[in-house]
Amino acid sequence: MQSRFYLSLLLISSLVLIAFMGIAFNREMNPEWKKYQTEYKDFLVKNAKDASTRQRAERIQIGMQQIYIKSLERSDRCMSCHRGVENPLMAEAEQPHRQHSGNYLENHPIAKFGCTVCHRGQDRATNMREAHGEEHTHWDFPIIPSKYIQGSCAQCHDYEMLRQEGGEKVARGEELFRQKGCQGCHKIGGKGGDLGKDIAGIGSRPFAYFSMKHVVGDHNLYNWVKQHFDDPRAIVPESEMRVFLTDEEAELLTTYMMTFVTAEMPRNYTLIKNVIQPKIDGESLYKMYCIACHSDGRVSLYDEIFKRTIPAIRNPAFTRSIDDEHLRTIIKEGRKGTQMTAWKVSAAGLTDADINKIIMYITMNRPEKKPEPFGFLKYKADVRHGEELYNIRCEFCHGAEGKGGEGFLGINLRNPAVQKADPEFLAITVRDGREGTPMVSFGMKGLKLDNQDIADMVAYVKTLSQKK
Amino acid sequence: MSNSTQTGLGKYKENLLSIKKSFLGSFLRSGMPTSDKSRTAVVVNNFFLHLHGAKTHTNTLKPSYTLGLGLISFFLLVIAFISGGFLMVYYSPSIGTAFNAVKDINFVVISGKLMRNIHKWSGEAMIIFVLLHMARVVYTNSYKRGREFNWVIGVVLLILTFVLNLTGYMLPWDQLSYWALVIVSNIAAAPKELTDIFGITQYFDIGGATKEVLLGGTAPGQNSLTRVYLLHIILLPLGICTALGVHFWRVRKDGGLSKPDIVGDRETGVAFISPPQKTGGIFPTHKTYGLMELARGRTPAVDNDVENTVTSWPNLFVAEIAVFIFTLAGVIAYSYFIDAPLKEFANAAIPENPAKAPWYFLGLQELVSYSAFMGGQGLPGLAIAGLLLIPYLDREQEHFGIWFSNRQGRMVAIESFIVGAAAVIGSLAFVINFGWFRNWWPKIHQLWIIAINPGNLLLGFVVAYSLFVIKRTGSTRMGAISLFTMFLVCYVILTYTGTVLRGPNWEFYWSASQWPIH
Amino acid sequence: MIPSITKCKRVLLIVCLFLFPLTSVVLAQENDDEYAALVESGKKVYEVRCLLCHGSKGDGNGPVGIIRRAERNGRVLEIVPRDLTMAVFRFRTTPTGCLADDQDILNIINNGVPRSFMPAHEKIPIQEREAVKEYIKTFSYRWEEEDPCEPIAVVKPEWVGSSKSVDKGKIIFKEMKCGECHGYEGKGDGPKSNDLKDDWGKQILPFNFSTGDLKRGSTPENVYITFTSGLDGTGMPSYEDSLNEEDRWHLVSFTLKLMGKLDKK
Repeated sequence: MQSRFYLSLLLISSLVLIAFMGIAFNREMNPEWKKYQTEYKDFLVKNAKDASTRQRAERIQIGMQQIYIKSLERSDRCMSCHRGVENPLMAEAEQPHRQHSGNYLENHPIAKFGCTVCHRGQDRATNMREAHGEEHTHWDFPIIPSKYIQGSCAQCHDYEMLRQEGGEKVARGEELFRQKGCQGCHKIGGKGGDLGKDIAGIGSRPFAYFSMKHVVGDHNLYNWVKQHFDDPRAIVPESEMRVFLTDEEAELLTTYMMTFVTAEMPRNYTLIKNVIQPKIDGESLYKMYCIACHSDGRVSLYDEIFKRTIPAIRNPAFTRSIDDEHLRTIIKEGRKGTQMTAWKVSAAGLTDADINKIIMYITMNRPEKKPEPFGFLKYKADVRHGEELYNIRCEFCHGAEGKGGEGFLGINLRNPAVQKADPEFLAITVRDGREGTPMVSFGMKGLKLDNQDIADMVAYVKTLSQKK
Repeated sequence: MSNSTQTGLGKYKENLLSIKKSFLGSFLRSGMPTSDKSRTAVVVNNFFLHLHGAKTHTNTLKPSYTLGLGLISFFLLVIAFISGGFLMVYYSPSIGTAFNAVKDINFVVISGKLMRNIHKWSGEAMIIFVLLHMARVVYTNSYKRGREFNWVIGVVLLILTFVLNLTGYMLPWDQLSYWALVIVSNIAAAPKELTDIFGITQYFDIGGATKEVLLGGTAPGQNSLTRVYLLHIILLPLGICTALGVHFWRVRKDGGLSKPDIVGDRETGVAFISPPQKTGGIFPTHKTYGLMELARGRTPAVDNDVENTVTSWPNLFVAEIAVFIFTLAGVIAYSYFIDAPLKEFANAAIPENPAKAPWYFLGLQELVSYSAFMGGQGLPGLAIAGLLLIPYLDREQEHFGIWFSNRQGRMVAIESFIVGAAAVIGSLAFVINFGWFRNWWPKIHQLWIIAINPGNLLLGFVVAYSLFVIKRTGSTRMGAISLFTMFLVCYVILTYTGTVLRGPNWEFYWSASQWPIH
Repeated sequence: MIPSITKCKRVLLIVCLFLFPLTSVVLAQENDDEYAALVESGKKVYEVRCLLCHGSKGDGNGPVGIIRRAERNGRVLEIVPRDLTMAVFRFRTTPTGCLADDQDILNIINNGVPRSFMPAHEKIPIQEREAVKEYIKTFSYRWEEEDPCEPIAVVKPEWVGSSKSVDKGKIIFKEMKCGECHGYEGKGDGPKSNDLKDDWGKQILPFNFSTGDLKRGSTPENVYITFTSGLDGTGMPSYEDSLNEEDRWHLVSFTLKLMGKLDKK
């Protein structure tokens, strides 16, 4: 009884074991790449024009291919499937057999560069799913879609050369990056605002760094970045990013993002022809750092994203009443409690020279005529009267507490830039108003408040910071 | 066979023809066995087979008695050893190359992936089968009559199995390895929680020191990998081989597998002439290795029941080989379909969320989420101490070798299963729904949480309930059954909770499909 | 005794009959004076609080002028303060084309209009608000010439918000082509959404149901009134004639669903 049990157990187990050894062996002996290589070889043999090419084709040995590049620390096995990549006969063939497009391989011999240095993907893998790094293969750098691939060029080349020689997409992306004011919120190389995340190395950031919850399609870096440009809040619901791009612009910028990688290429791979830095004048600095929020700075806007009013900073009414020194303080120290970053070297990384250029640009249209002085010190201000006036005149734009913010057109009167400002400047603003903004003139030209009233109001506003 | 034909070539031809017979003869020393005597000789004369008795009791061969669990565990270890040797050929223990080596094993080495799967799954299966084996030993009352210390060795083997698995988990140096190492080193540093409270961490940082010894630094790195590798391929295998040798040797010395005193009665209807005398000593001696049992017929056997033994060759060996092939086939079939996981390259900047230890430690991690010290060291320490003490606290010399001893035992086991499951599920449900002290009184002193947390309460309940069982039934044996059942239930349910029901930030989810997608 | 009493009564009655026209004339005179004073005080309040935006003539051409608001998708919307001289109001409880109810105007003064920077004036004394209301009514001749309409009766059925009703509402939403302006998923991004203008020729945006509350408030009753009265001066018509009452309530269910008001319950 017992011996029969053990004998039948032995028999059945042995059969199962042999069966599984058999199918496992079969699986090992017929990997995916072998199929493709056989197809490739058969194609060459069939289409051989003469006897000698046929012979050469027949002599092709089927086996795993690998390009080992020591300095790049890569073992690219891509050619195990893509064996026809250098063969002009395969120009029209279906993937994986097709020849590489363009003349890229002439200047970038595969033996020196391999494949993954530009295309990304998993160098060691030997099946398509894992080599291309599709989803759930736990590979951080899946194969880069061809529309973004020019991002890889900038690892070795300068933008001037790329613009002329086949890298125009990434070069345009770089221009856009400077024109859309990305650095107003994002730091790169220590320069830039702090509203957004530092984008250094974003092109080589692992998958897990990103929240992929709302990404449509494959969950990977490329789709995240592209869709984030399309609609930031669709990907990161709490995002405050003020970026409004066309589809093409989003694609170009995505390409450019792929140039921010942490690994540096070895010296003998890089080719920098032009070392000319783009000219940085006031206007381009304004575009790099200010334009994302302030637009052209002519009119003020209530912004639904920031939930507050963005002031018009290039408006003549503004530049006329503010002096450079006050402006410099605001730019350097930022405005606490608002989205305005502190731009000094130790914070957002702008040098004094840069800030001066920006101030020059902002105040470019400053009218010659200075506003009529108010003479604040002449008046004996009555804070209580000022409060009464504030509550009927100012409250519905600046809020009862003077904090401005969501749903209010006025700015936050409690921030240091106002509290520390010269009362003379504030009084002039109240008296004359600000053209291009909802701040109207309360003086004799407008709502007919006399200077005493205005002085009272300013005095009250100055006490706001002491209130709770 | 006349001398005249004995030319040199003739002899050569004859020898050539009889190679099979003479080789077998030399291997088995006395040729293919034909009689009980020669079958015995096979066993006695063979280095490996000598570990077995020449004759085996039929009770031992009953599949339903042992279910082959101990053997399966052993064979899994053998399979893991062999496949591990294969993997060692390609692996190199450096954080720069380890990950790539594993990738190469997966992608380039012929049958490399299969071997890695086999190694991984046989190792993890060992945990399950060692636990089941222990359960068999407890439920058949087989930790007595001189086997008490062997039980202790068994517990040591269980711990070694856990640690071997754990160290192996860290070798690929992927995200799983890295963050498991982080968690484990934090568990090792758990006494810090206690020393912090008493403010003596700066003088006596036992937790931090343990962590540093384990990691070879303060954070996982090359040193940690070297240490883990050393543990995994030299120290722990040596340890497990030694402990296993002793384990087997003692099984043999203690008279093979335990069996019921009255098994002879049941099987053959013949009672013993004289029931075994219980004489002196703490542990009664029941040795079976007398020459007497080689002969058939009734004998004044030292122990009993020679009638119901059969020769080990071939009965026992066929059984062992069948179990071996069964194990091997099972492991290969499983490995064929299910790949061992391998995640992204280790990245200290990107914590896995949830960062989980390997599954067999997730029960512990669940307890650690209440209190690092109690969950990571206190409670497991107490649980192991409890396991070690079972044979010393229950010394009732009755009902050996019978599953659950008797009807009452079966009832106690079922009861304890239900009560234990209810207790652990209840406490988990409570914590998940209502939180614990820290959620209620955010400023409470950590000492309170160390002293009173769901894990402690659960352990207290388990001990109290088994004492209650002892009191109710008047039998320490029932207490042992109850205690072990509840231990097993708690381990299984806590592990399940940690594996399946805990998601990012150790929050509760019914399944991984409800996790916030990443 | 008895006849004398009846006599007295009759005399009294006659006296009263004579006196009544007289008293009413006197009372009316007093009313007129009171009204003028009310308007005058309303004017004072108006000049302090409303003139900034709505202008001294009530034509929406105040010193503040156009307010610009950048939407979340970057589009800049120009908001013009309401022109009070046409007496066309969006948020009424009266049928389309009618004058607004007094209470409607007060509601707007009290609660303001979110996202349009019309502040809520609940804190100022009720007399001042009443006065301003009367003053506002002097801007348009319509208040004198036209008769006020009856407010729309709102009786909310039990089933509003049920999933069945939401499904029906979804079908109506599709049939009535609401999606052409409001977007097929209610996000205010329908194909026509970019070129909608109001009666004053200014660009306006169709409501995006995913952004929050309606300007008049998001109770089911308010939504129903919007469908029934329409938003005069905008592209939002009244559906009083094209949909029966039940269908309008189904549509209410669906819009509540779009605004996420049903999830919280």
